Amino acid sequence: MQLEFRGTSSRSVYVQRSAEPHLLFKKILEEKLIRCFVENSPDKGMEKKKLALLIGAAVVAAVAIGIILFTTTKPKPVSLIFASTQLAPPAEQAFARSLLSQFSDETGIKVDFVPMGYAELAARIEAEVKAGKVSTNLIGGLTSDIDPFASKGWVEDLTRFGALPGRTFYPAFEQASKMHGIKAMVPWMTATYVVVVNNKAFDYLPPGLSKEDVIKGTEKWTYDALLEWAKNIYEKTGKQAVGLPAGGGGLLHRFIHGYIYPSYTGKQAELFDSPQAVKLWEYMRELWKYTNPASTTWDAMANPLLGEEVWIAWDHVARIKDAIVTAPDKFTVCPVPRGPVGRGYIVVLAGLAITKGSPDQDAAWKVIEFLTRPEIQAKVAENVGWFPTVKEAAPAVSGPIKKISDGVSAQFAAGDSIAVMIPPLGGKGGEFSSVYRSAFERIVLKGEDIKTVLSEGAAALRKIFQEAGVPPS
Amino acid sequence: MVFSRFARRFTLLLPLIPSTLYLSFFIGYPLAQSLYWALTPSGGSGEMPLVAIVTSKRFLEVLGNTLLLVAVVVPLQFVLALAATLLFAESFRGKEIALYFFVLPLAVSDVAAALLWYTMLSPRGFLNKLLLELGVVSQPIQFFGYAFRHMEFLAIVLCEAWRATAIVFVNIYAGYQMIDRELIEASEVFGLSFAQRLRHIILPLLKPSIESALLIRTLFALQTFAPVLILAGLDIPVLATETFYVYAQLFDAPKASAWALLIGILTFIVSSVYVYILRTPEVR
Repeated sequence: MQLEFRGTSSRSVYVQRSAEPHLLFKKILEEKLIRCFVENSPDKGMEKKKLALLIGAAVVAAVAIGIILFTTTKPKPVSLIFASTQLAPPAEQAFARSLLSQFSDETGIKVDFVPMGYAELAARIEAEVKAGKVSTNLIGGLTSDIDPFASKGWVEDLTRFGALPGRTFYPAFEQASKMHGIKAMVPWMTATYVVVVNNKAFDYLPPGLSKEDVIKGTEKWTYDALLEWAKNIYEKTGKQAVGLPAGGGGLLHRFIHGYIYPSYTGKQAELFDSPQAVKLWEYMRELWKYTNPASTTWDAMANPLLGEEVWIAWDHVARIKDAIVTAPDKFTVCPVPRGPVGRGYIVVLAGLAITKGSPDQDAAWKVIEFLTRPEIQAKVAENVGWFPTVKEAAPAVSGPIKKISDGVSAQFAAGDSIAVMIPPLGGKGGEFSSVYRSAFERIVLKGEDIKTVLSEGAAALRKIFQEAGVPPS
Repeated sequence: MVFSRFARRFTLLLPLIPSTLYLSFFIGYPLAQSLYWALTPSGGSGEMPLVAIVTSKRFLEVLGNTLLLVAVVVPLQFVLALAATLLFAESFRGKEIALYFFVLPLAVSDVAAALLWYTMLSPRGFLNKLLLELGVVSQPIQFFGYAFRHMEFLAIVLCEAWRATAIVFVNIYAGYQMIDRELIEASEVFGLSFAQRLRHIILPLLKPSIESALLIRTLFALQTFAPVLILAGLDIPVLATETFYVYAQLFDAPKASAWALLIGILTFIVSSVYVYILRTPEVR
């Protein structure tokens, strides 16, 4: 039996001829088999059949080995998982996916966008980090979502990636992305809440308040002026023209803790039962008289604005976007009013973080670079109503969204700003909101005693902040 | 011999394995998890969520609203369905089409039905426009908002009556068609009045179908969700909307589980009561 491959020269020929290792292997194998059978078998007829069979088997084996070699040696296309608590509504998801497919076309890196709720995301990241098998590469979430992750060491310090060229993040956002001693995230998108006014309402402005005051957010544009305005409209037209998103899925609690509380007390929660807060709730009761009573069934103000059920509405920019896009000439987006202490407003900031110990971190950084490009940020603003976190993107925004964008920047530019962030309470966030919601329900809707409700709420808030391990804000 | 009997039994059980696995995974596991949540002390207070919600201020309000809704909607639907059955028992022109339209809401989802009523009853909706045009009212009737909770309740009752009477009707009507015509003819021959006929013949014979119809409707009414949420938001909290609110807005899974468990307990009690009251005595 001759199994030795004869002649080293011929092998070297093969080596030169074929650079592909699997092809070389296949040929060697065939050669060997042919020699083995041709030279050692006496029966030539059987010989041929067997030979054919074996050659066939060899080809199959070679192809199989070739496939294995091919798949193991060729660099695998990188695939990332991007879990996000933001852009979850179906239309926004579709937009996020189309944006990321543009990124894939450019870089060959596949990004799987997986929207989920905070609780689900936290459970997932915790399980992955603890098991040491991280599959979620990128995390997209609000500062309040990412803060607890940073405190538990579930996200990478992004300092080592350096600065991103060609863009300037607003300093406040840069500041907010540093948490627990690390740079936990890169500012991604921002949002806030604004007042939308139906232009008809400007005909009923109370004495001493001009359209200019409202649009620019001067110091005459106060909560008391808003009340006078609403009262004037009611007296002249019989219309309860103010709209607040007080439905089950509405964001009224944000108005209370992030707008009117800082405006009256300077704090969101710390002075919950202070004398100034009592004044605030007395004000809310007054305002409610001129607020459309159906507000308690509305989750978003776009439809009531379009249907002219209300003329002056406060809501999150994303939730009034439809009204502005549908009828841009009918509405004006204005800054929020100010209170005795200042103009309180919430800055909602979403950021991008990289999971601790996740693979392909450089690819994940490329996604972050892509999503913070000014032109991409402008695109996000135009499509889903989240506003840029980089200065260079603002002029690039166009279309009806520009109107909101202007209102938002007027708010940022207005004097006496008290910009607050939603406290990073993690899983306690819902309980926090419910304190404000139930105070509203009990004081304004049910007419209970203000001081009793506030002292109960203050105790509940202290407990929430204490349990979450966050200083009260 | 013993082995083969065992083997046969085992073989018979074999086809059950997939569904058992499915049920234990998709129903058993979540059920066990929510039971665990509802009954394990959690949060800073270390209180059992079930105890926490039962002693909370909202509990009586939520339970009261739920029971009130059931107490109004179910009898109303029963009376309407019975009346419709007696109407459709007679033959008249266009009966088929009328029957079709009466049962049609069965095919409408509860969310769609609620939205339909919301648009119809809103201040600029169909009903208010009609009334304004006819000069019946000078200001649109407000149906929605906390201050108008009684109107919201009315809207929910209207929506539920429109949407779900059909399912009670289908049950009772089917039962009616099973009644032997000869009994009714005999009662006519003996000169029974309509009331007597209803009291002594039709209702007793309809009892099984009424029982199942009422049972189904009461259980569903206890869980009414979308119409309440859409028409009243949180102004009229009921068990199902409270469960949803606690879970989806307050992110408090243990308390939401406790509310869900309450729905389960209530459902169990109600169905036991029904079976006990309405059971047909065995014929001796």
